[in-house]
Order: sequence, then C-alpha cells, then structure tokens
Amino acid sequence: MMGTITDRCAIVGVGESERSRNSGTTPLHMALDAARAALTDAGLEAKDIDGFMSYNENDSCTSHELATYLGVRPKYVKDIHGGGASTEMLVADAVGLIEMGEMNTVMIFRSMNGSSGQQVGRGYDSDMLQTALSGGSYIIPYGSASPSQWFGMFATRHMYETGITKEHLGHVCLSFYEHAQKNPRAFLHGKPLTMEKYLETPDISYPFNIHDSCVELDEANAIIVTASDRAADCRQRPVYIMGLESRQCHPHAHYWEDTSQVAADYVADGLYQSAGVKPEDIDVAAIYDCFSWVVLRQLEAYGFAPRGEVGDFAAEGNLKIGGKLPTNTAGGMLSEGYTHGMNNALELVRQLRHDYKGTERQVKDCELGICTGWAGPDIAGALILRN
Amino acid sequence: MMDYQKPIPLKTQDNKPFWDAADQHEMALQKCNSCGHYAHPPGPSCAKCGSQDLTWEQLGSDVKASVYSYIISYRPFLPGFQDDLPLIIAQAELEKAPGVKMMCNILDCKTEDVYVGMPVKMIWQDIAKDRALPQWVPAM
Repeated sequence: MMGTITDRCAIVGVGESERSRNSGTTPLHMALDAARAALTDAGLEAKDIDGFMSYNENDSCTSHELATYLGVRPKYVKDIHGGGASTEMLVADAVGLIEMGEMNTVMIFRSMNGSSGQQVGRGYDSDMLQTALSGGSYIIPYGSASPSQWFGMFATRHMYETGITKEHLGHVCLSFYEHAQKNPRAFLHGKPLTMEKYLETPDISYPFNIHDSCVELDEANAIIVTASDRAADCRQRPVYIMGLESRQCHPHAHYWEDTSQVAADYVADGLYQSAGVKPEDIDVAAIYDCFSWVVLRQLEAYGFAPRGEVGDFAAEGNLKIGGKLPTNTAGGMLSEGYTHGMNNALELVRQLRHDYKGTERQVKDCELGICTGWAGPDIAGALILRN
Repeated sequence: MMDYQKPIPLKTQDNKPFWDAADQHEMALQKCNSCGHYAHPPGPSCAKCGSQDLTWEQLGSDVKASVYSYIISYRPFLPGFQDDLPLIIAQAELEKAPGVKMMCNILDCKTEDVYVGMPVKMIWQDIAKDRALPQWVPAM
C-alpha cells in the first residue's frame, strides 16, 4: 500500500561547495557555490526556483540573501532555527507547498563555517546556555555543555542495557572511514582507521573518542525538490520521495530526564507506513552520524537489527558497501564532513541515481534508500527515497 | 569558595523553589497533583499530563540515589572545570523518587570505579555566598 505523498515529488538536483577547515569566505559565498552546483546538476536555471528554504543556528546566510544573489525574486523564503533533522523537515514542507500548488520548485540548503566559525558546543557564554537549554540550570553547573557529553549519557546507558561495546562503536567508525577512502572528496580520505588505532585513541568524553565524533568543517550543501511531472524535464534521473516523517519530537528529553527513549523510536512506524515499504526493502542508508553511537541507536529504532544485536550487525560488516545495509557510503559526517545532515542526503541521492556506476563506490542495484535526521534524542525525522 | 569559577545555577520563575531550598541544603521537587509524577525539571505545568496543579515536596537533605548513566569528560567545555579533569558527569536516579534523574558530578570517585548502578549519596557544595549545589559521592 502506497502512502498519499508517495512519488508525487522528486529530488532533481544536489550540489555542494568546497569542503575545508577554513573556507576563508562567508556562508553566503559557500551557499551560492552549492546552489549553482545543484542547479547545474538539475539542468535548471535560478529563475526556475520559486521557493528557498534553509536552516541555521544563527551561523549562516538567509534564504532571501541566497535568492537575491542568484538574481531571482522568489515567491517564498523560509529560514528555520535547527540542526539535525531539519533537512527532512524542510523536504516535507517543500512537498506540502508543491502539493498545494503554492510552489513549483524548491531549493533547500545548509551553509556553515562549522570549523572556522561558530562551532557547535563551543564558545557559548555559560549563563546564556543555562537560559537557552530547557532545564539548563540542572546541566551547565555540572560541566555538561557539549553534545558529546549529552549524547554520551544516552550511549553509556544504552550500552549497559544492550551489551554494545566500545569495539561495536569502532566498527561504525571503521565502516565509514573505509567509505571515505573511496571518496577523494572526503575530508579524511587518505586517513584509514584500524580497530587497533581506534581503541588506543584516548577518549574526549567517554564513551567517545575523536573518531566517534563528526568532522566539523566549512561547507554548504543544496537540494532541489520539484513535482514529479516536472522532474522528467530535468537533466538528472529523478529520485522520488516515497515516504517521510518530518519531525517527531520526544517530550521533555532534556538530554537526561529519560535516556531510555529517543525521538527516532517514534519515527519508524509513520515513515514506513507513508512509503509502503519495510526495513528489509531498503538497499542503502544515510543515517545521521554526529556520533558513532547515534548510528547504532537509530539502526535499532528504524528496525534494521533487533535491540541488543545492532552492535554485531555493524561488526559483521553490514554497514559497508557489499553488506546488508551500506550506510553513509561517502564516509558520513564521521569522515566525509559535517553539514548538519545534508551531505549524507546528497550521497544517498547520488547512490540511487547510480552516479558511481562502474566504480567500487556504487552500491549495486540499489533502488530504495533511507535518510534519517537526528537533532538529538529529542527530535528526529526521516525520508525514504527511490530511483 | 570565593574562587569558584564554574557556572552558578540561574534562578528562574520556574526553578526558584528548587534552588532556594538547595541554598538551605534541602531538596525540594515539584510534583503534579493530577498524575502523581514528579515534574523535574520544574516547569509552568506538568510535562507528563499538562496539568497546572503542581506542588512542591520536601525531600530533606538525606538523599540517596544510584548512578543511572555517566560519561567521563577529559576536556573542559565550560570555564572553571580545567582542574577537575577527568570529570565524571552522571545521572543520579533518586531512591525516593525513582522517576527523577538528576545530572550531577560524582566527586571523590576514581574514573575507573564508577559504574551503572553504583550507590551514591547527596552532599551540599557551598559555591557562593548563600548558594549551594547538590553534588554526589559514592555511598559507603
């Protein structure tokens, strides 16, 4: 049974800027590079885009600025405050607006100087953090101010309950680093990782060391969404949106009140129902990977391995190209680069278009893919895409 | 005490009764009269059921808990923590209020000794004039 939005819209173009530790330029310049690359990819002109959407953490340019410097007057712009899972939310918003006839073609982008500019979890005033975070006065005075510490609290408990080990986390890293070695554009291309090296690397926040954490970089990504009947006129093979769950919120997940549940646990049912497929139908995955453990917890939530077996699922090589669920095949945010989830979505689109056909990077015969977003234990969303 | 460089809990409209009690070395928790759950962190209404019928319950100063989860921080992400590394940041699950887990530090404990389920007891750390922070140490 197909859902009501199945195949009505498609992703017709993707693009990115240069990826670096220090861009030497502004998020607006990088966003323009990514936007022009996506337009070229789609075979569209800027004037064909009538909606622009973006997300940021007060660290980017606006959709209005991007449209202005592409020389177009869009009907609609939207900028939301958000990190992970915002790509999925904005794709859902675009589909809704296209479906109601408000818009024809929407560009969604994320641009950030995530390395040279403002980094997540660093450089904030501690009193501001106490106010900004829900329940902040119970967190900040104890020295907990980094996502590695917040998510680590969930990880330690989950590892205790399910028997996941440090080696299991290492297998997630090893799988993605292996993919990065096939991707010349990955930031950690040329820097392979062994289990021995992984295990001897000191922790930053136990249970995480530097390899368990995403590579914060300067980069912009862009995606173009349009109605399926218009997609046929584009240059690329369309990647259809089969199903989605835009943004599930887990109440009161103050990173510590209830560490047994995460928002992703509530996404799977609606997601698979809207696409009319099951986890076993999925050929390739883009799983939000700000930290290695976050991947394992989501594999459990989205039904790819039973609780208690996700660690072994990764250890058996199933996340690698050739495994049961090739995941983050460009290296993921752990080794390609971190743009709050969007670079993984770009890679999934390219895999489903079979852009890498004839190379060792191509997941063979892949038809169906999942892209998940995780803003934290409290917010998640996901897309199912097909070629 | 006057050299305390770490963040001091900010009192807000919603959490003031908790921190006022803490300054007196007492623990007070917000409780929902409608569904019976503790509402921690305290808020304008119950996050479990939305009820505005909330009261404050005194738990006194002899509070026991067990470690529900923890991380060990080897880097300071906030001012004032440099000399405390490696620092154990944990969730203490209260014995008297099992639904409530409080983020905390486990003091006087080697990092290799902390484990999930470890019994801990609350102590009061005086951090500024008239201000105190609940902290936790291994229960003997």
